[in-house]
Amino acid sequence: MKTYLGIDVGSVSTNIIALNEASEVLSSKYIRTNGQPMECIKNAMKEIARDLQNLEVAGVGTTGSGRQLAGIITGADIIKNEITAHATAAIHFYPDTRTIFEIGGQDSKIILIKNGMIVDFAMNTVCAAGTGSFLDHQAERLKVPIEQFGELALTSTKDTRIAGRCTVFAESDMIAKQQFGFSKGDIIKGLCEALVRNYINNLGRGKTLTPPYLFQGGVAANVGIIAAFKKELRHEIIIPRYYNVMGAIGAALLAKDYLEKNGYQTRFSGFEITDVNFVPKTFDCNGCPNACEVIEVTREDTVIARWGDKCGKWTNEISYSPPGYLTEAACS
Amino acid sequence: MTAARIGLPTALMHSYYRSFWKPFFEELGLEVIETGPTTKAILNKGIRYSVPEICAPMKIYTGHVLELLDQGVDWIYIPRFVSIRKGDVFCPKFLGLPDMLKHTIPDLTSKMVTHHLNVKHENIACMKEYLEIGKLFTSNYRKIKNAVQTGRKKWLEFRKYCVLERYNCQTANGKVFTGKPALQSDLPIKIGVIGYVYNVYDDILGMDIISRLYKLGANTVTFEMLEQGEIDRQLRGYKKRLFWAFSNKLLASAHQFFRDATIDGIIHVTAFGCGPDSFLGKILEINFSQSPKPFMTVRVDEHTGESHLQTRVEAFIDMIAKSKNFKE
Ligand code: SF4
Ligand code: SF4
Repeated sequence: MKTYLGIDVGSVSTNIIALNEASEVLSSKYIRTNGQPMECIKNAMKEIARDLQNLEVAGVGTTGSGRQLAGIITGADIIKNEITAHATAAIHFYPDTRTIFEIGGQDSKIILIKNGMIVDFAMNTVCAAGTGSFLDHQAERLKVPIEQFGELALTSTKDTRIAGRCTVFAESDMIAKQQFGFSKGDIIKGLCEALVRNYINNLGRGKTLTPPYLFQGGVAANVGIIAAFKKELRHEIIIPRYYNVMGAIGAALLAKDYLEKNGYQTRFSGFEITDVNFVPKTFDCNGCPNACEVIEVTREDTVIARWGDKCGKWTNEISYSPPGYLTEAACS
Repeated sequence: MTAARIGLPTALMHSYYRSFWKPFFEELGLEVIETGPTTKAILNKGIRYSVPEICAPMKIYTGHVLELLDQGVDWIYIPRFVSIRKGDVFCPKFLGLPDMLKHTIPDLTSKMVTHHLNVKHENIACMKEYLEIGKLFTSNYRKIKNAVQTGRKKWLEFRKYCVLERYNCQTANGKVFTGKPALQSDLPIKIGVIGYVYNVYDDILGMDIISRLYKLGANTVTFEMLEQGEIDRQLRGYKKRLFWAFSNKLLASAHQFFRDATIDGIIHVTAFGCGPDSFLGKILEINFSQSPKPFMTVRVDEHTGESHLQTRVEAFIDMIAKSKNFKE
């Protein structure tokens, strides 16, 4: 059976999905990256191979902050940024969508769509206060398992306003409110609302947010956040069925589209790679005062890729050039 | 006798006025030392000596000054830009720059060559401002006059490449000093990049955004390509202009880029904590939020990761390419 693989490697989670020729999702894996992207990719690929019998990979796309690495070890046909990938998947399932909210573990985005095309976007990678990591951290502080975090928010009937321009303020305000005797539910509800409010104010600044609204990314599992969105927007929001692997789906769709349009064959390296030993390492070049941190990946003792150097001194030595994509793309 | 060595920090306005300063000082008989593109080492020096809140371009300039001190030059030229157009001034950080540096770097005082640059035209090459500088190195009036003229000619050549042949600040300098023509090819996409020269062309802050765009299939246009008359025309509609000289140039270029139908999208590159740009950004938001032309602000500082910039630039170009294919 012809299959397209999509791989989304982020610092928090690594997701792999398999699509059939009709672009339906056959299998999806969501795994915590835990600082081991290489192992994660391999394990998830093994699981996919186990799940799906006689699968014939016809194309591979990668995305996420580790897209370059994932692309190199799997022999990807296309390596795409996560904004394009997320929007591609969203438009595939909901062609009429106008606004995509995406909150993942490490970053968050707002993407505006018109006539099935991106017309504007904003992305936050600098501040953690609007992301899944922030919620994880607060859940830990309140000693609530993150899985129950959202439900707890729904138990509160009070309006608790947590000042939350940034994590530090939110945290101190939370402590104060706890001391005043607000329940955990009240505080979590307030926190969810603060997160959503900030997210919309920061990323949606100067933009007109039009429904239908789509909410995807790992945080879309959190019912507390969903409720906060509905309250803030005074409107329904759609949670796609595959909300937490949309980036990977987008990457697979882009690979499929790219190969079909150009009539190319896939460059997929095969499932054997799960048994191959890839070793990533970094070193500091001392060629000039830039002191670049160069990333190098070796496969069974041969260097297969290097990047991260400003001058091209290291990259030039190896030529890995997937068709239709530039190797220059930085990935650090 | 070996010539005295004067250092020009390769930061802030350097790329805009290099073609005047370098020949000017050389004609005076000095050896000119430039620090070259910002490296991480230079940046780190600058960070160590700067207050944390100051904008990154100022930290970088400080780093270049320290680098020159380490190289043991005899003099360092640090002008105080006050105005280059009647009614416009420079950002307060420029106004206080020589004082700030004197107080943060005590060894600098005896080596610093400074003066006020307060002129009515962006062509700063005039005797009124440079006679006193020349006098520090020679008592020969004609020699100074000659140096100013030589520099002025070069600078005008630089501006000619920008305005008439659409070179940007970086490629025009390349052309003036080494004769190297700019890479030009017919790319499907054209992007207007709005930003101060010390952000866009700095290796660390701008992260080579111009060549990144080029590699993704986009040519770029920048404010340097507009002449002052055009800038003033674009701003005629304003009852009150901004206070700052180069912010006005950026604002005018934004107007021009939004109007120009051949430009597919606009990117504003700005430094975190830049006061003037917070005004500029707001004005752009108010004036152009209804425009269908894609617009994106990229905020950079010394910590900005390359992958963040790359992701956004790629997505921006993807978005434009897709809608262009769709229209055709
Ligand atoms: S990789 Fe190139 S730019 Fe980076 S430190 Fe080495 S020589 Fe310098
Ligand atoms: S205009 Fe902005 S970036 Fe430039 S010196 Fe002033 S504050 Fe810094």
